[in-house]
Amino acid sequence: MALLEVLGLCKAYRGVRAVRDTSFHVEPGTITGLIGPNGSGKTTAIDCITGFQKSDAGRVRLGDIDITGRPPERIARAGLLRTFQAVRVYEDFDLMQNLVAVAAPFAGVTGADMLLRRRRFRDAHERTRARAREAIDLVGLTRLIEAPAAILSYGQKKLLALAAVLMANPKLVILDEPVAGVNPTRVNEIADLLRRINRQGTTFLIIEHNVEFIASICDHVLVLDQGRLLTQGPPATIRQDARVLDAYLGREGGRPQNREAVS
Amino acid sequence: MTRAVFTAAALIVLAALPLFVHSNYVLSIAVSGFIFVVCAAALNLIYGFAGLLSFAQLGFWGIGGYVAAIAVIDGRLPFAAGVILAGVATACVALIIGVAILRTNRHAFVIVTLTFALLCALVARDWISVTRGPLGIPGLPPASILGYAFSNPTRFYYLAFAFAVLALGLLYALVTSRIGLLLKAIKQNDALARSQGISPMPYKLMAFVLSAALTGMAGGIYVFHLRVVDPTFLDFYYMQTFLIFVVIGGPGSFWGVVIASALMVSLPEVLRFTNEFRMVIYGVVLVLAMLVIPRGLAGVFHDRRLRAIRAALT
Repeated sequence: MALLEVLGLCKAYRGVRAVRDTSFHVEPGTITGLIGPNGSGKTTAIDCITGFQKSDAGRVRLGDIDITGRPPERIARAGLLRTFQAVRVYEDFDLMQNLVAVAAPFAGVTGADMLLRRRRFRDAHERTRARAREAIDLVGLTRLIEAPAAILSYGQKKLLALAAVLMANPKLVILDEPVAGVNPTRVNEIADLLRRINRQGTTFLIIEHNVEFIASICDHVLVLDQGRLLTQGPPATIRQDARVLDAYLGREGGRPQNREAVS
Repeated sequence: MTRAVFTAAALIVLAALPLFVHSNYVLSIAVSGFIFVVCAAALNLIYGFAGLLSFAQLGFWGIGGYVAAIAVIDGRLPFAAGVILAGVATACVALIIGVAILRTNRHAFVIVTLTFALLCALVARDWISVTRGPLGIPGLPPASILGYAFSNPTRFYYLAFAFAVLALGLLYALVTSRIGLLLKAIKQNDALARSQGISPMPYKLMAFVLSAALTGMAGGIYVFHLRVVDPTFLDFYYMQTFLIFVVIGGPGSFWGVVIASALMVSLPEVLRFTNEFRMVIYGVVLVLAMLVIPRGLAGVFHDRRLRAIRAALT
């Protein structure tokens, strides 16, 4: 059974149909890529799937749970975690605080447990700190563990955001442009890191413009164009597909109509 | 560790103060200080930690004052019951308006809470059958608990002191717990918190209700210090005082706000040698503080720490 199943998703903003009747699924254990030109509806689709936007129509299922229309925090608690295109971390918190702020490791700990520092809270807290140290180690930021996130570079913040997501033991992680704006030498490191995490059982859905990056790590690629699923398949096939080249890279000897240049 | 020592020392000095100071005037200033520091710390919870600038504090302060006074005068309830009722009433009001207005954005929240405070002042003035209108309710009896009357300034000093210690203790336990961390997380980045499984609403609502209840109880105690409650109890002066303490101390810093409150309560008295100019100097100090330390006392320490970390890493 598919881990994530999206059926007939639609979303319009003031008449602009950003996502039109898109269906796709993500198989468990894979790294699936989601590509498409600017404005093809990738981020809108992700926002609808993760509850940050209300979709106009369509269903979204995570495993056997219907998560359509649920608020983002409940979708996160169901095991679908995401990062943001413009990286988000708690700038005023140090790295450790950034990771222990994640809800999942404290499931079952009540507000009273937290306030009175009851055993249940203290145990969860200790376990979480230990796991946070491992996660920070995994993304290679151990040296900065006590530093406020505000002093991190853009790429380091993306790594921190990834580490935070892993704290939740997610079933599926959606990364919105994990290597955009990241130093090219670091892109390979991130690719290695994602492969390693994937081998340990985490499924990824990755939005990216960097086709090399997508081709190097994805098992399966989905291509969106003008709010619709244009095609899908293994990276090698997708790179040869004439429709994809047309939509995504622009036609040789002239630009397709009504389409922005690929940046 | 040093913090614990300083706190213990401050508590001992404050507990012993009435043994050395017999001036009713000074004790009365100290009572105001204790009550105001609780209100400032409560405002800090909702503004500094949850990131919601609430002018409704003034309304809660007023509701607390009136509820306690009316409960004792008209309801013939004991003082303690009046104060508890003030806390319960403000908590209920905060819960009801909080559910509605915490859904709005931060700017709308500021405006709606401001309107709520102004509305409370109008009700105090115009709902004459309950609040006695502009004349207010004078002649409140001395506060007393289980037959022990806090009838002189020294006794009332200890009442206010005990209230401040309990209320600040509760707030300290709260903001240093994981709940405080999550409030700050929600304040910094609401969407990020949600994407990580944190529901902002219960935390914001809890902060709003608790800060309302503590402010209401503080108002309920303070009217028995003044021995009268009238519409001037909803004067903007009080809100301004709470806000100044928080801003000077540094929103989001428990100790910053407590220390700033102590300094700002003492400052006008320290300046008493130059009676004509003391409020002018108070104003100048305030403006200078905003220019030099825009994020409050706590901001200064935070920046210094940040510089040290940056220096250590390069």
